[in-house]
Amino acid sequence: MQNSTSEYRLEMSGISKRFGVVSVLENVNLKVKHGEIHALLGENGAGKSTLMKILSGVHQKDAGRVVLNGKEIAPKNTHDGQVLGINVVYQELSLVNDLSVAENIYLHKLGASKFWMNWKKINKDAQELIDSLGFKIDATAKVRDLSIVQKQVVEIAKAISEDTEILVLDEPTTVFDPTDTQKLFDNLFKLKERGISIIYISHHLEEIFKIADTVTVLRDGVDTGSIPVKETDTDGVIQLMIGRKLEDLYPERNSTLGGAPIFEVKNLSAKDTLVHDVSFAVRPGEVLGIAGLGGSGRTETAKLIFGADRKKSGQIFLNGEEIATRSPSEAVDHNIGLVSENRKEEGVFLPLSIQKNISVTDFSAISGKFGFINAENESKNVNNLIEKLNIKTPSAEVPVKNLSGGNQQKVALAKWLSIDSKVILIDEPTRGVDVGAKVEIYSLINEVAQNGVGVIVISSDMPEIMGIADRILVMHEGTIYGELSKEEFTEENILRFAIGEPLKK
Amino acid sequence: MASSSKEQLSSPGGILPFLIKYNTVFIFVLLVVFSAFISDVFFTSVNLSNLLKQVSGIGIISIGMLIVILTGGIDLSVGSMIALLAVAFALLVNIFALPLAILMTIAIGFSLGSVSGYLVAYQKMAPFIATLALMTVARGLAFIYSKGSPITFDTYGGLYMSNFANNSFLGIPNIAIVFFIIVILAMIMLRYNVFGRVIIAIGSNEEASRLSGLKVNKYKFLVYAISGALAAIAAIIVASRTNLGSPNMGMAWELDAIAAVVIGGASLSGGRGTAINTLMGVLILGLISNILNLLNVPSYPQQVVKGAIIIFAVLLQRFENK
Ligand SMILES: Nc1ncnc2c1ncn2[C@@H]1O[C@H](COP(=O)(O)OP(=O)(O)OP(=O)(O)O)[C@@H](O)[C@H]1O
Ligand SMILES: [Mg+2]
Repeated sequence: MQNSTSEYRLEMSGISKRFGVVSVLENVNLKVKHGEIHALLGENGAGKSTLMKILSGVHQKDAGRVVLNGKEIAPKNTHDGQVLGINVVYQELSLVNDLSVAENIYLHKLGASKFWMNWKKINKDAQELIDSLGFKIDATAKVRDLSIVQKQVVEIAKAISEDTEILVLDEPTTVFDPTDTQKLFDNLFKLKERGISIIYISHHLEEIFKIADTVTVLRDGVDTGSIPVKETDTDGVIQLMIGRKLEDLYPERNSTLGGAPIFEVKNLSAKDTLVHDVSFAVRPGEVLGIAGLGGSGRTETAKLIFGADRKKSGQIFLNGEEIATRSPSEAVDHNIGLVSENRKEEGVFLPLSIQKNISVTDFSAISGKFGFINAENESKNVNNLIEKLNIKTPSAEVPVKNLSGGNQQKVALAKWLSIDSKVILIDEPTRGVDVGAKVEIYSLINEVAQNGVGVIVISSDMPEIMGIADRILVMHEGTIYGELSKEEFTEENILRFAIGEPLKK
Repeated sequence: MASSSKEQLSSPGGILPFLIKYNTVFIFVLLVVFSAFISDVFFTSVNLSNLLKQVSGIGIISIGMLIVILTGGIDLSVGSMIALLAVAFALLVNIFALPLAILMTIAIGFSLGSVSGYLVAYQKMAPFIATLALMTVARGLAFIYSKGSPITFDTYGGLYMSNFANNSFLGIPNIAIVFFIIVILAMIMLRYNVFGRVIIAIGSNEEASRLSGLKVNKYKFLVYAISGALAAIAAIIVASRTNLGSPNMGMAWELDAIAAVVIGGASLSGGRGTAINTLMGVLILGLISNILNLLNVPSYPQQVVKGAIIIFAVLLQRFENK
């Protein structure tokens, strides 16, 4: 049975797939060796996730062969895939919010086991598994109460089991800070030593050079071949991905900052989260970065300002006047916008069209008296943004759930960039976005700032935040620990503040 | 390489995808053709106008049910509301001038709906529970105010209404015209107005709606209030047809309304559904009863057939969602 002559554990060859009339994959080949980490790269919408979903049984291929350990396979659903030892951490979170961490981890095995659950054992095993990964999560906690980072860890734990042969990670680190990412890499190296083959998808190219052995690049549904990582570099990979060289990743910051702050918060504290005594000011035209480790309260601060969480005390000033933001709708009335980090649950309406998603923040611009929508204005506005952000779609009527992850992120951004904001809070602007589109988004942020908007960007991606911000605040344990001016921007300085230590002299 | 049958299935011009997309219309047409074949009374104007009169009341509350379901909620109170509001209208029309009695009844319906709306939107009560409570309260009140027996119209205003309810304009029953106007209004509001956009957004992702700055609570409150007001209009129509308001009216109508909305392809978890398809759902349910009555099928087997059709319709929609 075992085809011992092949050095590959997995061979996917000639894979084609279309959704309706749209062809997504054409004659794609992917070969993965035993115990290797194989990076799969490509622009948003190139077909990476689709290829992996064919491997795991979510989608069925239209043509081609998949050979695992010398045997042709054709999983019809994810259960078939799991039985074959193919485990996938999908790009979108797929946990059951109302179940515990342990229940989620063993969910796919529950049906197969005996009639009675041994909860004690399940909880203990789950706890051991998480501990062994090096993360701190209580296995009996409800998934609903976890942070997005913790949820991602649970997703990963769920995919690792005794009989995993192939582990697919589809953009696993988008929500991680550098320390979390390092922990994940340590674990991947351990799994690799056990002989597990890992397919790794990411838009953080530097990660690829840290961990991968081989890289395969997909471009518009066609593979451009596989090469050993040693034989290429970032520029080479980008060239393969987008077909051209990329000049500058970060735009020139040349906006003139206004004198008086457009936006200011004083001693803001939250009722239900760890955020306390947050004070800062943003000037018109300024891009203010907020850095910090996962769980340091960055997202919670943004939500507090936006009125999505309840405040205990503190003041907010817009153009020098005190305002109240007791709810998001009040914040929006004051022209404050928030792009959420959690795209699927808080950012987009998956079943609705791109058009309906983008228009939702600004009905006043497209509707007349009595709220009737001017279809012409609406589609003009929407198509403009689709073009500007380079959203890959056949039309504005496509439901957002049919877009690739990165293109969904662009929709989440577009919805706020379309309106006349005075202040815009962007939590992880380029989560899951490819390099080419990152450049677009950065220059868009730049453009928004140049129009005199106060832009607050939260990011775990340190090169990114250093590349686009004029000033960086670093949060630690729910409050702002330190501030870095442009000359002080280094990864080390950010990290020192992030763990609560002063800068080195 | 790709099998040709698959391509046929997914090409936009094929006949099967067309049928799947317009499955509610398809079932409706199928039923009409079937009815016409099986009974020669079916296509008489008397029968058709009877059919329309029968569905108008349920049709109107189905539209209210649709907008509640679009937000991801449900309104179980509408059947009992019809009883209470029919009794209220009969009492009011015997005291006040007709236009005033109509307005007051609608205002009561709106207020009762507001109670559900308040509990759901501002007290975060589950819609099922809040409206279940209201359902019991409304039926109880209907019996209390009517003292357990029907109240007949005995003024000129009441007689005028029952005349209106039993007459036609250009061959179409007046009350069906009221129903159709409500359907058209709902269609316009859902499709071209911000109102529709917002409630569909709420139904498809409530948290994202809140974080988009939409006034989620206000709209959730509003849909139950509107559903109550529509129940009042339905109650006035139903009472006027028989010239009386009875506490036994509208028994289990909320279930028929839910069935109509679901047959019309709406998703009970919210965010999907249209007024036209709900109209189709209402007509399909009405047709089934009508043809079974024409065939003299007793009412118990009728219920079985009805249930089977609901299952069939919903199964067909499965394909559409694929
Ligand atoms: N269920 C679906 N129906 C229709 N089109 C789809 C569906 N799923 C994906 N697509 C389309 O297939 C293409 C490839 O999507 P895929 O998710 O594989 O991209 P990706 O390479 O993973 O991109 P990203 O980096 O943004 O995650 C996209 O154009 C997307 O719009
Ligand atoms: Mg993807």
